Amino acid sequence: MSRIGVFVCWCGSNIASTVDVEKVREEAAKIPGVVSAVDYKYMCSDPGQNSLRNVIKEKNLTGVVLAACSPHMHENTFRKAAVKEGLNPYFVEIANIREQVSWVHEDKERATAKAVDLMKMMVEKVKRDKPIEDVRVPLNKKALVIGGGISGIQAALDIANGGVEVILVEKEPSIGGRMIQLDETFPTLDCSSCIMTPKMVEVNQHPNIKLYTYSEIEDVSGYIGNFKVKIKKKARSVVEKDCTGCGECWNACPMHKNVKSEFNINLSERTAIYVPFPQAVPLVPVLDRSVCLHFKKGGKCQKCFDACGPKCIDFSMQDEIIEETVGAIVAATGYDLMETSMYGEYGYGKYKDVVSGLQFERLLSASGPTEGVIKRPSDGKTPQTIVFVQCVGSRDPEKGVPYCSKVCCMYTAKHAKLFAHKVHGSQSYVFYIDIRATSKGYEEFVRGTMEQDGAVYLRGRVSKIYEDNGKLIVKGADTLSGNQVEIAADMVVLATGVIPKKGSDKLAQMLGISYDKYGFLTESHPKLRPAESSTAGIFLAGMAQGPRDIPESVVSGSAAASKILGLFSKSEYEVEGTISSVNEATCVACFYCQRVCAYNAISRKEIKDRNGSVVKVVANVNPGLCTGCGACVNACFSKSIDVKGFMDDQIYAEIKSLAI
Amino acid sequence: MKTVLNEQNRRNFVAQVESMLHDKLSKCYQCGKCSAGCPVNFEMDYTPNQIIKMTELGMEDTVLNSKTIWLCVSCNTCSTRCPKGFEVTGIMDVLREIAERKGITSKTEKEVQMFHEVFLENVKSHGRIFELELVGKYKLKTKHLFRDMFLAPKMLEKGKLKMHGETISNLNQIAKIFKDFE
Repeated sequence: MSRIGVFVCWCGSNIASTVDVEKVREEAAKIPGVVSAVDYKYMCSDPGQNSLRNVIKEKNLTGVVLAACSPHMHENTFRKAAVKEGLNPYFVEIANIREQVSWVHEDKERATAKAVDLMKMMVEKVKRDKPIEDVRVPLNKKALVIGGGISGIQAALDIANGGVEVILVEKEPSIGGRMIQLDETFPTLDCSSCIMTPKMVEVNQHPNIKLYTYSEIEDVSGYIGNFKVKIKKKARSVVEKDCTGCGECWNACPMHKNVKSEFNINLSERTAIYVPFPQAVPLVPVLDRSVCLHFKKGGKCQKCFDACGPKCIDFSMQDEIIEETVGAIVAATGYDLMETSMYGEYGYGKYKDVVSGLQFERLLSASGPTEGVIKRPSDGKTPQTIVFVQCVGSRDPEKGVPYCSKVCCMYTAKHAKLFAHKVHGSQSYVFYIDIRATSKGYEEFVRGTMEQDGAVYLRGRVSKIYEDNGKLIVKGADTLSGNQVEIAADMVVLATGVIPKKGSDKLAQMLGISYDKYGFLTESHPKLRPAESSTAGIFLAGMAQGPRDIPESVVSGSAAASKILGLFSKSEYEVEGTISSVNEATCVACFYCQRVCAYNAISRKEIKDRNGSVVKVVANVNPGLCTGCGACVNACFSKSIDVKGFMDDQIYAEIKSLAI
Repeated sequence: MKTVLNEQNRRNFVAQVESMLHDKLSKCYQCGKCSAGCPVNFEMDYTPNQIIKMTELGMEDTVLNSKTIWLCVSCNTCSTRCPKGFEVTGIMDVLREIAERKGITSKTEKEVQMFHEVFLENVKSHGRIFELELVGKYKLKTKHLFRDMFLAPKMLEKGKLKMHGETISNLNQIAKIFKDFE
């Protein structure tokens, strides 16, 4: 027989002024099974909690109902108090008579009636509560970081410095990501490679970091604490441990000046065997088999092999699959720039001197194709007038994306500034819609570009760019003065918008984390859980989540790292016990539950007899992944799944209590 | 209106204006607070912030032939309220001066331009304003002899119109100012 205690809280006057708390107490006392009903001014206060504990002890209660504020507020407080008296924490139920009654109603009589109803429902529920144990998941204290850009590097270093082993996987031949492609960085104009390369080297030398470059994630399964990861290490054709990075091989390669350099965004050429840039980490070349003569012409050419001193070139190398088990994952897959081919009116691709923001970055860079001297791609002359067009692709729901790419205002201001510094007497024009310069020192930076460096800003979009007499004629508008403006420029830089890295949606599917309609990975909560994905144990960092600048990327990398270190500081991961459970006797293995589960928490389980032959197949819930959302309960045709603490009989009893 | 920007002309014009203004055109936020508070904005063809932007873009003909530069009454509301401390009134002065030097006659605001001329003549010959002479000359020049006639008695009554003009003792100084300026 149940022995239930009901505690009605006044919450000062918050509840008591609208709800007749004494009436609620009196009604509670009438319910069969309720052995104690009290009301108190502040149940959450120390005396309130003590009285709760005393009654549990004296009356030997089997369940507790608090008619009080939202469970979000004090459920934990009261559970802890109950646990101290030896009660299972899930035998504490809250009837929310503050947020759901007193704060939203005025008529005291009717509010009291509703409070009584809610209290009755909870009494019926608690009578049917069963003890629930929190689930404990063992943790493999090793982390995987996907993406070797600045946020991935930051996350890897922070985790590794915290004493935890890290596996860093990068798709490209070198780590460094987008940041290493940049010249100088706003708003302080410190040189990107100067601040980036030390971090890259640190990653390579860190005893706790295992680095896989030119590698991709092939498969991920498992759950928090126990992810099984397959990493495909693509055939590099160069033995990493023997290579000294001397450069004899790429100097010997006959495919010189034939292949467009990805790193310099088609502004220069590379060989078939190459390192993307001189400071690459690791400084080990990659042989691009799609263009290599050895592979195209049936093994005739082996000049690189002949030139190589330590003989580390291996034409027969195969892709390798490496399996790792990790406890947590950081997805830091980064971004791409939008294609601008849909803007035929801007002539990108048609006119050589119309370049993207990242291409201009390479033209500014000392390690770029022009060694930092600004030369336009068509004839190599130094431009005197450059028109910068902002919001190319961004803020364009018709042809591009509706969101703001956030960094373009700043990098355009930086481009105009560096152009003024490098080419004296030059002139830049910037077409913009709004200037968004909101971080520390940013507004001042943009104003400086206008006021000290003489860039002329025109508020308006560019309509058309065409070539005339060796000049690019830019037709735009200045909405502030209400004029159509035409500028003859030597070069045009399009501030192309930012999109998620190609293939990041596939990776997200593999990881079982959610992403938005553009492909950006979504946070568990946009404000309060910005580093967590929708799946426990998988964290997010950098531009993969959406447009952000370097400082924000670094912060997000560190945030993900600190979350992982926090997670790993415990011996086991604890999950609330209110998760789904399958009644294996009635499960018909239709797996409709599997299709509706947003967390990949349901798998097939084979029940075998003692001889090892399969007797039955049933659905199985992975406690590490289940969040207790209840989607499977609704989906189950045979009513074989319940969420613990919210069993069918409890819900029916709650509803029935209203009819009495 | 379509404007083809000529880089050299633009730079020359901006340099000329900025050197006379002792301020930088690029300082302007284009927030429009000057235009928002301008008491004569309703009569202008371009708002004050548009004048600043067009000057920066080197649209010399447009700004020098605008009504705005002559309609500005130099009340300084704009400059006082400007968040960047930009000389908005000052730019109107500068543009009027450039227009005058170039011999540009405003097509619509001739009378304002004439008033400025008469005013300066008056200062030049007396070292200060002799209202009766100023009014007389202005009326002769504009040929609006009887406009605002009924204001005269009131002004006389309040001592605002003196019958005799005063000339300052050291006219040479005034002559020097004019000479320096030219």
